[in-house]
Amino acid sequence: MKDVETRPRRYSRVIILTILLASLPLIVGFSLLVISSFSTEMVTNLNPSSFHLTLENWISVFHGKLATTGGIRAPILRITLNTLIVALGVAGVVTAVSALAGYSLSRVNFRGRKHMMILLLVLHAFPGVALIVGVYLLYRLTFPQSMDIVRLYSFMYVIFARAALEIPMSVWLMKGFFDTIPWEFEWSGIIDGASRITVWRKIMLPLIKPGILAVALFAFLAGWQDIIYVRTFLIDQTLATFIEANIEAEFSHMPMIAAAGTLYLLPTIIFFITAQQLLLQGYSGGIKG
Amino acid sequence: MNVKREKLTTLSFFLSPMAVMVVLFYLVPLIMTVYISFTRMRNWNVSKYLTEFVGFYNYHRLLYMFQHDPTFKAVLLTTVVFVGITLIINVFGGLALALATFFIEDKPASAFRLLWLLPRMSPIAVYSLVWYYFFHGSEIGTLNSILMKLGVISQPIPWGQIVPWGAWSIIIFVNGLVGVSFGMIVFTSALNQIPKELVIAARVDGASSWQISRRILIPMIRWHLLYVLTWQFLSLLTTYPHLFLLVQWDLVNGDYGTTLALYVFNTAFGMGEQDQGLAAAAAVLLSVIGIIGGFVTLKVLKFERMMKRPRGDF
Repeated sequence: MKDVETRPRRYSRVIILTILLASLPLIVGFSLLVISSFSTEMVTNLNPSSFHLTLENWISVFHGKLATTGGIRAPILRITLNTLIVALGVAGVVTAVSALAGYSLSRVNFRGRKHMMILLLVLHAFPGVALIVGVYLLYRLTFPQSMDIVRLYSFMYVIFARAALEIPMSVWLMKGFFDTIPWEFEWSGIIDGASRITVWRKIMLPLIKPGILAVALFAFLAGWQDIIYVRTFLIDQTLATFIEANIEAEFSHMPMIAAAGTLYLLPTIIFFITAQQLLLQGYSGGIKG
Repeated sequence: MNVKREKLTTLSFFLSPMAVMVVLFYLVPLIMTVYISFTRMRNWNVSKYLTEFVGFYNYHRLLYMFQHDPTFKAVLLTTVVFVGITLIINVFGGLALALATFFIEDKPASAFRLLWLLPRMSPIAVYSLVWYYFFHGSEIGTLNSILMKLGVISQPIPWGQIVPWGAWSIIIFVNGLVGVSFGMIVFTSALNQIPKELVIAARVDGASSWQISRRILIPMIRWHLLYVLTWQFLSLLTTYPHLFLLVQWDLVNGDYGTTLALYVFNTAFGMGEQDQGLAAAAAVLLSVIGIIGGFVTLKVLKFERMMKRPRGDF
């Protein structure tokens, strides 16, 4: 807080130090993972002697090798691509659906609007595990007979099913962004004879670009980090299921798993560096409703 | 008439995608889950068991297990302890972080907020991996090696296998760090809406940061405290992805690392014998708690009052 100038300076140093101490496990935990990926042995035991700088793990990961010996190979690029497809798919579906619904909840007065908004809140709080049993039965009942499209279908299904989980909060978030746009922009369009749909597309969407970006970013991360839906519905492997499956496998070399984990963490780190303000604002906007 | 029809077309354009998603992935699955809880469904043998009704058999089994099955009792006890303690950590940790970052300069404040968002934003598998190494039962475990260097222990200890408190501590710690960021963000945005004059006036009068927090800031964000408390309660009750990996990787004991939500998931999708009928029955119970909790939350927080009509629509 900038505007309180009467406060003594040294207190803020004490506070910063205290938060730093409280954050130490987080910093240490994540750093050790990243450092281990560049070392021949895991450095999680905090022994400086176990650190020997190497790029071997990363090279092996990109070659899809899991063990220092033996011939087990995993198509890591394909696996990364699968993860990316799911994340982009979820981001696309969530953004499109919430940009549409968010506008009408923010701008159109209709019967049942209030109930719809309450329903969305309740759905957001609804136990996801109660749904997934039913979602899986629906998946089984609609599973295609032809083997050619089975994999495509599992991709489509996991994208839509995972996106559905994000939709209640994203619609609220998007509604919040539409709420901030003055009505005058909209009236000017309507007076010129444009329909609400045209107004939405031509005037409103360009105005809330930051909001759309924030929603897309959160949805992307939700799809990217997911493990439960991916392992339940997707036939192909993603980075999450890859790590899950290999951690206890006897042939896997721990620092390589650390490298795969760091690779998986990369988008999060990139967003942290490039989109800090968007992340912080987006969260507070979404939670305020 | 014409105007009305036009409005209807417009509305269905905007709302139908959402409606389809809600019906397909919330409404229909919910009905199916309730339906499955009345069948003998197991191992996802849909063709054999989908129409085999057993009435309240699965619910009776749950009741029986509640009385006699030590594993299920452990799961319920774990749920209560996990939700209770993690909730307290989340709310007070979030409040402490929000207040602390409120009193320091903007730059370090946003850096810390960002850092605390990391657990929520990083992939679940990576986040669990970090703590897997941290609490690992061998000498590669960070906690073990710290304690061994300090001379507190001579042998590495498999912390997660110490029941109940070892396993509980780990799941509470891992989920606690994820949940703190929610409170932090809500409280931070609430604190920023408080007029700065109040804080400045108190400062001029010589109040300390602690007094300002205690007498001015906290009373002014009471609504947000309640909001985080109730909302976080619901989400802790239903969370399971992090716990799933910790149990799957054998870092924590299976019985005392499993909450009711994870129990439902593992019974329906886990390794070995799957029993979807039983899982669905437990899921229905969980949903009933969730729905009641949700509506109580909405009533207590008076959400309806916040929903104003769009003022410019005609």
